Amino acid sequence: MRGRPLLFTKYTADQALLPTGTKKVMAAIFVALLVSIPFDLIPGLGFLAANDWLKTLTRVFIFAIGALGLNILTGLAGQVSLGHAFFMGIGAYAAAVLGAAPGALWGLGLPIWIWLPAAGLVAALVGVIVAPTAVRVRGLYLGIVTLALVVIGGWLFRNTESATGGSQAGRNFPPFELRLWQEEKPFLSFAEDGPWFGIDLSAEAKTYFFLLVLVAVFTLVAKNIQRTRVGRAFQAIRDRDVAAEIMGVDEFRYKMLAFAISSFFAGVAGALLASFVGRMIPESWDLALSVQLIAIVLIGGAGTVSGTLMGAGFVVIVPRFVQELTDLLKETIEEGEGVLARIGDVFIATSGSDGGIINTLPGSGPGLSVFQLNLVLFGLLIIAFLIFEPLGLYGIWLRIRNYWKGWPFTY
Amino acid sequence: MRKNRAVYLLLALALVAAACGDSAGDTTTTAAVATTTTAPAATTAPPETTMALPAVDIGVDFEAGKIYVGMLSDLTGPFGPLVTPIVDGHSVYWENVNANGGINGLEVELVVKDTQYIPDNHVQFYGELKEEVVAFGHSTGSPHTMAIREALEADGILAVPLTWYSGWSDPALNSNLVPHGAPYCIEAMNVLEYLSKKFEADNGAKPSLAIVSVPGDYGLDSAIGAALAAAALGLEVVYDGTGKVIPPAAGTTFDPTEFVTGIVGSQADIAFVTATPGTFSGIYGGSLAQGFEGIWSGAAPSWNPAFIGPDSPIRGGIARDFWGSAYISPWSSDAPGMKELRDLFAELRPDAPAHDYYGEGFVEASILHAALQKAYDNGDLTQAGVVAAAKSLENVDFGGIGPAETYVGEPNDRLQRQSLMFRPDPADLDAGGSGTTVVEDFFTSDIAAAYEFTGACYKLEG
Amino acid sequence: MSAPHGGGPAAWMLLFQVEQPSFLEKLPDALVAGISAGAVYAMLALGFVIIFKATQVINFAHGALSATGAFMVAALATVLRFPGRFIDGAPKAVQWGLSALLAVFAAALLGMAVERLFIRPMVGEPLFTIAIITLGIDVVMRTVTSDFIGTDIRPLGDPWGANSFEAGPFRVAHSEVAQIVVAVVCLLGIWIFFRTRFGVAMRATAYDQEAAMTQGIKVGRIFSVAWGIGAGLAAVAGLFASVFPRSTGVSSFTAFVALGVFPAIIIGGLDSVPGAVIGGFIIGLAEALAGSYLTFDFLGTGFAGVFPYIVMLVVLLVRPYGLFGTAEIRRV
Repeated sequence: MRGRPLLFTKYTADQALLPTGTKKVMAAIFVALLVSIPFDLIPGLGFLAANDWLKTLTRVFIFAIGALGLNILTGLAGQVSLGHAFFMGIGAYAAAVLGAAPGALWGLGLPIWIWLPAAGLVAALVGVIVAPTAVRVRGLYLGIVTLALVVIGGWLFRNTESATGGSQAGRNFPPFELRLWQEEKPFLSFAEDGPWFGIDLSAEAKTYFFLLVLVAVFTLVAKNIQRTRVGRAFQAIRDRDVAAEIMGVDEFRYKMLAFAISSFFAGVAGALLASFVGRMIPESWDLALSVQLIAIVLIGGAGTVSGTLMGAGFVVIVPRFVQELTDLLKETIEEGEGVLARIGDVFIATSGSDGGIINTLPGSGPGLSVFQLNLVLFGLLIIAFLIFEPLGLYGIWLRIRNYWKGWPFTY
Repeated sequence: MRKNRAVYLLLALALVAAACGDSAGDTTTTAAVATTTTAPAATTAPPETTMALPAVDIGVDFEAGKIYVGMLSDLTGPFGPLVTPIVDGHSVYWENVNANGGINGLEVELVVKDTQYIPDNHVQFYGELKEEVVAFGHSTGSPHTMAIREALEADGILAVPLTWYSGWSDPALNSNLVPHGAPYCIEAMNVLEYLSKKFEADNGAKPSLAIVSVPGDYGLDSAIGAALAAAALGLEVVYDGTGKVIPPAAGTTFDPTEFVTGIVGSQADIAFVTATPGTFSGIYGGSLAQGFEGIWSGAAPSWNPAFIGPDSPIRGGIARDFWGSAYISPWSSDAPGMKELRDLFAELRPDAPAHDYYGEGFVEASILHAALQKAYDNGDLTQAGVVAAAKSLENVDFGGIGPAETYVGEPNDRLQRQSLMFRPDPADLDAGGSGTTVVEDFFTSDIAAAYEFTGACYKLEG
Repeated sequence: MSAPHGGGPAAWMLLFQVEQPSFLEKLPDALVAGISAGAVYAMLALGFVIIFKATQVINFAHGALSATGAFMVAALATVLRFPGRFIDGAPKAVQWGLSALLAVFAAALLGMAVERLFIRPMVGEPLFTIAIITLGIDVVMRTVTSDFIGTDIRPLGDPWGANSFEAGPFRVAHSEVAQIVVAVVCLLGIWIFFRTRFGVAMRATAYDQEAAMTQGIKVGRIFSVAWGIGAGLAAVAGLFASVFPRSTGVSSFTAFVALGVFPAIIIGGLDSVPGAVIGGFIIGLAEALAGSYLTFDFLGTGFAGVFPYIVMLVVLLVRPYGLFGTAEIRRV
């Protein structure tokens, strides 16, 4: 019926991913927007077509995939996990061993359609092995057990030099390119500039599209998990696991499944991140990476897929954007005109002898460097979101949407 | 509800700032001007208008009168305390050059990026800077420079390595790098021969040796050199902790126990530890706590004058036990180049504390200066032109700050084999000096002189 | 400070006529290192457990509090020379001691401020959320403190320096003796505190917040004091983690020493005060003994840092609530 979008007459309509017409239209617009970004078609968003912004957006997609996995584990199944970085590392090194060209370090040179899924599968396998220990403990004990995973994982990565390149040195990871088997020239390479269907695209744009497709696939999978029996079992365990067990939800089996699925996502995300960055040292898979992912899930809205995607965008883009802002302020101060320049000069130090809370020098200087400022903001944002809006960005979106739904009768 | 309104306000502000921020973002990307050889009719044309201007591609802006040089530095990572003065040395050097006409009127401007000694950052900043600069004034870290070595060759850009890995002189590995100073491998030979001879003279017997190092080409190159020296001198290696020191990173601490147990338990006479200053002081402190007395040394980057700072608990111990090596003369040296450096610092940076590493900045900058000048004179100030010019440099002189370098000829002939030995001097540091006293000016050990250099001492994989 | 070369080991070597350091030779040093490290971990764990029991919060910011405390000692003692500046005649040890006490007190105030600003508004919210908030606080505090510390390691200027006592095969640094003494004093102090009126009130709050409130106990004040004590203990632990021989000073990595508190707590049991202390000593000894004995090649390097976590996992497999924690009874 046209005027009553929330009146569902069939189960399929109720369970649909995009139940109302409005949602369908908005989803279509959103996807069209994402696809059109590299082509500089939208006025005002043209700056996003620059290569470095495309790289930032691609990074958003990679972190979104990892966070979707963590969302399934923490948001949906309620299992606190600080060990996501470990599974990402496992996936990355599995991909490297299978996909990198043979050389001094282990590498079999297999094509991407083997190493990418294998990265996920190996990580999932490790998740299954770890699960029995993890399942025995609950709540914050589990959080600390997963912290142990990151520490032990770090030691493992540092000491398997043939696979990881060893501490401080790292290794190169297989690039994004499609081959049939181990032939010389890939039939589709994402690493070079060149035309696709007649349109000239840079390497960054090609990688962007590749990851756009992947993140769309994983989003669909995550959303589908949410609305199936497995997803409902996870949510039952999250809400009251004793009651769920009584109802017949096998706690052990479903918790293990949650670990396996989230580790698969993490493994794939790790392999993608490593190949995207190109070179990673074993120390990269550390607690800070896990915290970033937890922050994405919580800031976005634990348990919701769209929240997680928003969270990924937020957490990856904010540092970039703080950098641009400080560069802008630095320029304004150096030009020396206007109120903004004067206010900015008080807070920002542009040289070693200037005073300020933030400095724009490349190294250390008075006040926080931009890198440190980003960290501080990151911490403050986590705190602010959890205190003021526990439902995260999704909660804010809900409020906005409900406001406009009831407009003009918002009281 | 009140709390949430504040959040929305902040969000709105953020969105507004985003719009403003990004429109200015385009202008912050620095000049990547491609000009042709025809002289521009701009107002700020360089003074020597009688000469034809050289060809340029990236990193040279005739209108602005600037040459852009990239710096991949570790300013806040484990070697931060050492690299920061080096960058200061570069800055002062170029300020002086620019004040005296620059390179045919073009001023050199440094674009400094802090890699924090993380290879991913290094690679990322390289990717950003290669579109903006004509060459790299320095690239910090052996594994990091290895990570961009192939790219440097493929992109045809020059970099001065701020690392003394012997691979930079390896004919098979040397791409567009112009190293200076004795490689770690040779330095270890020099140091150990000097210390071993001294020990034998004092004690009448050969010393036993403990070798400890960080992994990667920095630590392993030095450790292999030490092992080679031990073999040549007939020293017994009683403890081998090669490649085992893992410096702390975010989320981990460094536990020196296993190295302390190894060194103290093995009762070595000489402990040769190549690590970061932080981990070196940890291992030294732990051993000192267990009453260990021996001779301590390592590759030059293991030393930080803060070891003998006024409040440092290891001040007395280090002064007693440490014998350091260096690639350049210290702050207090009489070399004409160092005198000039001290004068320049007094004039341009009167508040800067005395430090031995400003000279390192001067040496690196001198190499680049020579390369840039030669490239200009050759009429080719493109990235590739600078590489060609650098590789044709002979006998680049540093006024005595360091031994002269040559980049033409057989690697075995032009390999730098000289090191300098110093001892810590707390009294000097307290009096405002740099805290070191030279005990042996630049020398080459017999082992190093006899060493046939056919390739890097340590070959890194991957 | 000049001791005869290899005083300790040499004596034993003569006794056992061996060339290489044997199991027994490494033992005294390992034990001393283990007990003093254990003292640091025990103090960290104690502070952590007090905060947990009183306010039900897992405090991920403990490391940042300990590093900030250590930095404040360094700043007050070496940079500001406060209050030592005003009592020039007093011996250096007294001046330093006053600065240290002041710094610990300031750290306790910082802990109370954190509680008031970030934890109090969240009373009643899920514990996971509050734990992540402390994670955010940790990031902020650690970054700001690292900015102040800079890239160098900052010595604390303590009076113990690099001096040690020797007794037979045992060689103990002055600072290690101080560490153990201070730890014992703190433990005694806490034990006495829990028997005072306020301490009993805190125990009551830990047991049942609502019942305590009905008895007229000002729970808010209990929270503040618990965080103050926790932060103060963390600062003391941070101080000892930054002196010889563990380190030459406080650096941006000092905060990560406190990560060792998690295995200690888990082994002892999240809600057991004696368990925390015992867990701390177990972890300290485990780390030291692993560093001295478990140096086989196949274990690679850095295993000593991992070993406590492995011990923790083993203990969890056997006792999922730690050695002394209270088990939740769940029957399905």
